[in-house]
Amino acid sequence: MFSRWSWVACGFYLMLNICSPDASGGLVQSCGHIIPESPVLALGSNFTALCILNESCLDFGNIYANQIIWKIKNRVVPKEQYREINRTVSSVTFNDTSSLATPLTCNIVADGQIEQNIYGITVTVGLAPEKPKNLSCIVHQISRFTYVMTCTWNPGRHTFLDTEFRLRYSWPEEVFPDCIPKGVNNSCTVTDIQFFVNTEIWVEAANALGKAESDPLVVDPIDIVKPLSPQNVSVSSGILPTVLKLTWENWISDAVMTLKFNIRYRVTGDTSWMEVPSEDTASPRTSFSVQGLRPYTEYAFSIRCMKEDGVGYWSDWSEEKTGITTEDEPSKGPPIWRIIDASHSPALWTVHLMWKALKPFEANGVILQYEVTVRDKSSLASPLKKYNVTSTNHTLQLPKGTYEVTLIARNSVGASPPSVLLIPESNSKAPVKNLRTLPKHDKLWVGWTAPNSYVLKYVIEWCLVSSNSDCTIEWQIALGDVQGIDLKGIKPFKCYLITVYPLYADGQGSGESVKAYLKQDRPSKGPTVQTKKVGKAEAVLTWNHLTVEEQNGFIRNYTILYKTIDGNETVVTVDPSKTEYTLSSLTSDTLYTVRMMASTDNGSRTGPDFTFTTQKFGKGEIEAIVVPVCLAFLLIVLLGVLFCFNKRDLIKKHIWPIVPDPSKSNIAQWSPQVPAKHNFNSKNQMYPEGSFTDVSVVEIEADDKKSFSEQDLKPFDLLKKEKSTSEGHSSGIGGSSCMSSPRQSVSDSDEGETTQNTSSTVQYSTVVLNGYRDQTPVQVFSRSESTQPLLDSEERSEDHAGGADSAAQRQQYFRQNGGQDENNIDRSCFERAKQITHGNEGDLVGFVQLQVSGQSSQPLGLGMAKNTQEAALSNISQTCTEGQTVRPETVEENPLPVDDMPKSYLPQTVRQGGYMPQ
Amino acid sequence: MAATDSPSTAVRRRDLCSRGIRLAGKMRADVIDLLDTYVEQQGLDASATVGVVEGVPLAAVERWDEQTGTQRLLENLVAYRAFRALLAQMLEEQREQLGEADAGLGRALAAVLLQVSAFAYHLEELLQLESRGIPSEEGDGPPPLPRLSLFEQKLRGLGVLRELAQWAVRSARDLRQLSKPS
Repeated sequence: MFSRWSWVACGFYLMLNICSPDASGGLVQSCGHIIPESPVLALGSNFTALCILNESCLDFGNIYANQIIWKIKNRVVPKEQYREINRTVSSVTFNDTSSLATPLTCNIVADGQIEQNIYGITVTVGLAPEKPKNLSCIVHQISRFTYVMTCTWNPGRHTFLDTEFRLRYSWPEEVFPDCIPKGVNNSCTVTDIQFFVNTEIWVEAANALGKAESDPLVVDPIDIVKPLSPQNVSVSSGILPTVLKLTWENWISDAVMTLKFNIRYRVTGDTSWMEVPSEDTASPRTSFSVQGLRPYTEYAFSIRCMKEDGVGYWSDWSEEKTGITTEDEPSKGPPIWRIIDASHSPALWTVHLMWKALKPFEANGVILQYEVTVRDKSSLASPLKKYNVTSTNHTLQLPKGTYEVTLIARNSVGASPPSVLLIPESNSKAPVKNLRTLPKHDKLWVGWTAPNSYVLKYVIEWCLVSSNSDCTIEWQIALGDVQGIDLKGIKPFKCYLITVYPLYADGQGSGESVKAYLKQDRPSKGPTVQTKKVGKAEAVLTWNHLTVEEQNGFIRNYTILYKTIDGNETVVTVDPSKTEYTLSSLTSDTLYTVRMMASTDNGSRTGPDFTFTTQKFGKGEIEAIVVPVCLAFLLIVLLGVLFCFNKRDLIKKHIWPIVPDPSKSNIAQWSPQVPAKHNFNSKNQMYPEGSFTDVSVVEIEADDKKSFSEQDLKPFDLLKKEKSTSEGHSSGIGGSSCMSSPRQSVSDSDEGETTQNTSSTVQYSTVVLNGYRDQTPVQVFSRSESTQPLLDSEERSEDHAGGADSAAQRQQYFRQNGGQDENNIDRSCFERAKQITHGNEGDLVGFVQLQVSGQSSQPLGLGMAKNTQEAALSNISQTCTEGQTVRPETVEENPLPVDDMPKSYLPQTVRQGGYMPQ
Repeated sequence: MAATDSPSTAVRRRDLCSRGIRLAGKMRADVIDLLDTYVEQQGLDASATVGVVEGVPLAAVERWDEQTGTQRLLENLVAYRAFRALLAQMLEEQREQLGEADAGLGRALAAVLLQVSAFAYHLEELLQLESRGIPSEEGDGPPPLPRLSLFEQKLRGLGVLRELAQWAVRSARDLRQLSKPS
């Protein structure tokens, strides 16, 4: 209990000691302190600190040195570094100060584990300054009388401490004030400079850890002067056109130093400087005349100076000043050339004289005019013609001949030497040989081999080749002793036509031309290929040459690449002069893709793809097949004709038998009741008696309509009514066969549905004939005028039952003809009709009798239709479908006895208005 | 004398002479400029006649070409030590009179004073090369200057500068003579 209260009291006492104002006047009375107080330590050195506790704290607070803990920035220092010197002093040792941080604090831990700070110090770690090195000084002239000396040095490593640098300088008997740099640690500027006395200059660096001095620099400041450049430079032209005089002021007194100079100059606009020889300007002066300049040329001058003995520094170059030399007479005549146009008249030339303006250094002034003199050399008597021209070309109309043209350029000072151009009547002299070109960077070198004769000079013409504009000629003259020049201003990727003419003293050689590129590129587009002709195994490809603008270089070759869809690509290289190529060995009837590539020295470009298909047959193959076939056919036909001709009697007998005229027959005579309204057309008449081999007759009872619904029969009721009234207008053929039906000739408005039904009416009936006299039966299709609508399959399927019922009635007839096969009712009428034709001879017998009794070509069906008018109309479509039940097979199965047929059926088929045998 | 010089001594002497000649030339130029400024600032007449400056040997001397090198150097050293003391006093008087109002004149005086000091240093070096002891300044120095009126101070200053300009010319000639190979 006592102990606890004593610790509380102790803590309270410590707090009071630390926090309460000291009676002696200090704000804080701590229980101890650290030695040394805020030390500055060398980086990497060892360091020991002592924490000394006050005796007063010991007595009251029971705190001793063994309770001390050291901390670096709140981090406890390992206790191995502590040492308790006595009961009030604890030390801590650091072997390397680089592990130190600030603050370093001394703390006490009381028994209650209450940690209290006793004292703290700030530790500064750094390095001593290094010896400054590389001290150098320069004296700058600021104004006419003002000089400052700036010294620079290498301050050495960073010290991490405040380090003061001082530039010191002195004479042996006089020490000057130090120069302390401001803001930097490696330079300082001294403003009080005295020349002609050796001055010792050095740098001192000092901080809390030490001091260092640089090696001294002993120098007379006059030897390190960088003077101001000469001032007020002016340039004036003299009497001579090649001289300019410079004058200037030196801003440094001769008493201080004598100077030497450098003078540089250049033509205005040039970048390179020329310099006056230094020995010419090595003495003090304030003016200099620069000689050897070009007349009428603007020059820029600049000048600098330094101490005459060369010790020190050159000044900066002065500001540029320009001056123009005076004019002089032109130094040479303008180069002249001509273009002769003889297109209008061979005897009269249009001579375009053209010359180049002199370069400034040749003109030596402003060219005021040109004097052109033309002398006809072929006629000595002809006078000279003079022209004053201000431009650089002149056009003359001259008769064809030999002329000498002289050109002089004039400026304000005088005239140039004359330029002479001989224009011969013809270019009969030898041309240059081996004309060639070679690109050289941005120039195109043109070289040639000189002719054997002496050449005065050469004229090189060149022009940019264009597909859409004329070649604009540029030209240049080269001296006779050169065999090559560089053409400037040549554009890359453009084709130039270059022509070289040699000019002789007595004439002119013909021009030699060459095309050239300064730089080539791949073509800007590829050729567009297409086929001219496509065969079975070959295709002729054509293309157009690329325009010169598209070529970008010399086309070295064309490459044709072609392939089938799934095949490998085939490559063919073609000469660049070609515009056509034939691909061979192609596969017939195959799609090919072809494209074309144009190549220069620098690359290729491919044109668009083109596809074509080879032909299935080659040329003449079709003819080779068709012609023999035709010939064979013709031969066969011819043979057939010949055969027929030979056998004509036999054929006639079989094909064109003599047909008896029914009107003249005995039957006609006994059949006066032939209705007048029945017009037997020629078709009917063309079938002679007995030509029908089989006729299917559908006999329909009037009661059959019962088997149809009222709705189905409705249109037919109307039709039936009409039919009764218009029967006389209907065809006599309708309904005569299974495919036919009576034509519905009504056209009342009430017959909308009917009209629709008639849209599918059968307009043709099939008349099936049996062979005539052992001939092959012929199917005859004759037009039916029936508009009887066909029943669709649905109706037929519904009607089968009724049809079957009615079939029983019809079997009166059919059974006599062999019965009915109900399983075959879906077969088409046409098919059955053909089957009918297959009937056997036995049927024919009965039918002949039927025809004889029924009169004929008017089919029995018609008669049936009339006889069974009501039933038949209601079952028009059934006539077809149910009539189909007539099967030749059944006929075959139940051949009728010939004797029974006429007797049994004749009365049925002719009842109700049918033909009745008389 | 020069015949017995070592090469380094000869080079050193030639260098000191050369430098001294140029320093004398610059000093003369600066003094001439300073004279103009001084006359203007002090309100004096440039043509005013000034008597001999006490304590300063005259630059003009008879039989100049008969003097020895050491003699020349010693006369120069006496003169320039005297000029140094006079210029220092002038500078002090100048500051007392004008304060910082005319810093330009003060700076010019200080610059000339430095040049005089530097030239005196040159002379001492040359005398050392001549293996001659350097006379002590105290013993040969000028006597304390009498107390003068302000105008007299101005005139004396004018006289000092004029005499210094003449000595600058003479000193250059003396050093050229010394630098000549004998």
